[in-house]
Amino acid sequence: MTGRTLRQMRSHAWLYVMILPVIVYFSVFVYYPLVQGVLSSFQEFRLLGGGEWVGTQNYVDVWETSKFWQVVRNTLLIGGGTLIFGFLPPIIVALALNEVRLLVFKKLAQTTVYLPHLFSWVVIGGMWIYLLSPSGGLVNELLALLDVGPVRFLTNTNWARTMMIGLPIWKDMGYAAIIYLAAITSISPTLYEAARIDGASRFQQVYQITVPLLTGTMKVVFMLNILGLLRIFDQIFVMRNPVIQRGIDVIMTYVYDMGIQRYELGFASAISVLVLIATLGMTAIVWKITGFGRAD
Amino acid sequence: MQDVKKLQAPVTHETTESPSKAKGVVRHSMGDRLFSWGVIAFLVILMLMMIVPFINVLAVAFSAPLASMEPGIILWPREFSVEGFKTVWINLDLQRAFLNSVIVTSVGTVAHVTLCCIAAYVLIQKDLPGRSLMLLFILATMAIPGELIMIPLYIVNRDLGLLNTLWALIFSGMVSGFSILLLRNFFAGVPYDLAESAKIDGASDFHIFRTIYLPLSQAGIATIALFELVSRWNQFMPVILYINDSSKYTLQVALNALVTENLGTSGMSMVTPNVRMAGIVIAILPLVVIYPFMQRYFVQGITLGSVKE
Repeated sequence: MTGRTLRQMRSHAWLYVMILPVIVYFSVFVYYPLVQGVLSSFQEFRLLGGGEWVGTQNYVDVWETSKFWQVVRNTLLIGGGTLIFGFLPPIIVALALNEVRLLVFKKLAQTTVYLPHLFSWVVIGGMWIYLLSPSGGLVNELLALLDVGPVRFLTNTNWARTMMIGLPIWKDMGYAAIIYLAAITSISPTLYEAARIDGASRFQQVYQITVPLLTGTMKVVFMLNILGLLRIFDQIFVMRNPVIQRGIDVIMTYVYDMGIQRYELGFASAISVLVLIATLGMTAIVWKITGFGRAD
Repeated sequence: MQDVKKLQAPVTHETTESPSKAKGVVRHSMGDRLFSWGVIAFLVILMLMMIVPFINVLAVAFSAPLASMEPGIILWPREFSVEGFKTVWINLDLQRAFLNSVIVTSVGTVAHVTLCCIAAYVLIQKDLPGRSLMLLFILATMAIPGELIMIPLYIVNRDLGLLNTLWALIFSGMVSGFSILLLRNFFAGVPYDLAESAKIDGASDFHIFRTIYLPLSQAGIATIALFELVSRWNQFMPVILYINDSSKYTLQVALNALVTENLGTSGMSMVTPNVRMAGIVIAILPLVVIYPFMQRYFVQGITLGSVKE
């Protein structure tokens, strides 16, 4: 270390003191737990006292537990369903919002569509448990007008899975739409003018100018969503019940049940490590495919 | 995902100043007019899908206890009453959980903004040895989702004696790489000459931070603070991880026990729908109140953020 660097460090001593709490915080609440989590996955815990090294036994146990594969399957079904079916709606909403000329209406629509995203899954889940109830819930009331039902939305596995896919789409549609809308407004108006001069209808302008120019944003949104896929937790935790639990429990609720409720810390840590590896792997693959890393 | 929300949210208001509404006379063909009406119809239906469930919740919340148990309440309360609010607030003691949430949210947000601002200030110093190393140390935390380390985090909190205290909840997410990154961008928009000349005049770092950076980055700080406020208020997983003692429950968890009673298993609920929906109304009320202010700050945030470009 040169004298100059040392002098500079001394003159900036206060700056180091200022950032110290943040460094300590991340060490204690991110890096230490991360290392500890990886180590725990190779240990067996007893209720009192520390862990005992068991090699890869926890990973073998996880691999051989059928419930693990069940929750993996549920996660892929529910998360994948949300990813695929939730892809198009926000784009359509953004395109529609962009076509509105009346500013007040546009703002109102945007605010309304974004509203559910503002609230927690406890609020949204609690509300929909009530709305979907077979006895007196709004949805079944409306279905009764059509002589349908009552449908047991949350006590039938297939319906429950459908709801677990549909509700996050409903909740987060407005949020993704706002990202798309921002991208749309950055498209140069001269492109549309040129198209108008060529006699393109408004629908043609949307389809042939706006949509192709949104592909970059689509990639980004898709990537952000794919990273959240394996981490679904709140919505399932709030809306599950014993009748449908087998069909909708996901990886993270399983980690919670095993680790916190049943205190199988090694087993739960092993699953966490697997999910972490899978997430990092998926990130790398998606970055490569979409070229997101380069674009940024 | 919380962080992602923060990243994207400030763009909200760019859309209201859309340049695409280029003035000029545009001829309206029959097809274009049909298209316009189709778009409006679509959006109206969409808005109804979003808003009707909430109106239904309000209608049930303001209905009398027995009336709320019968089907058929859609948009308007039956036998208007505030009984549900009284029951949930006083008898079921949601007030205590509400108070816990207010404490955690306010202390947590202030701590978050303070620590992240200080870190961001340090990280924009051009001639600070070790700056890029610290930056890497902080930004790398963004790649590690909190959920995936919940088991060891639980153990850390247990070992520090934080379980069943509100401190565990305040510490959870108290600093985030994301907020630091965003604030750093805001601070980078403040002219460096200002700080430079103050330094020559002998001002301390803390003084420069307080008198130059903070006032000039108000909009950015407000944006971070408001997003932190919302995510703190909605905080759920840390509470079910660290808190067992029901007197320390926050609003979300107390509400969870109230509104997610299993349909299949509990035939004998003493809690009528009006009480449950009143709980939901109480939980969303603070967010609905600050929502309009958030929008105002986003606009300023965009203006400030665009300076550096």
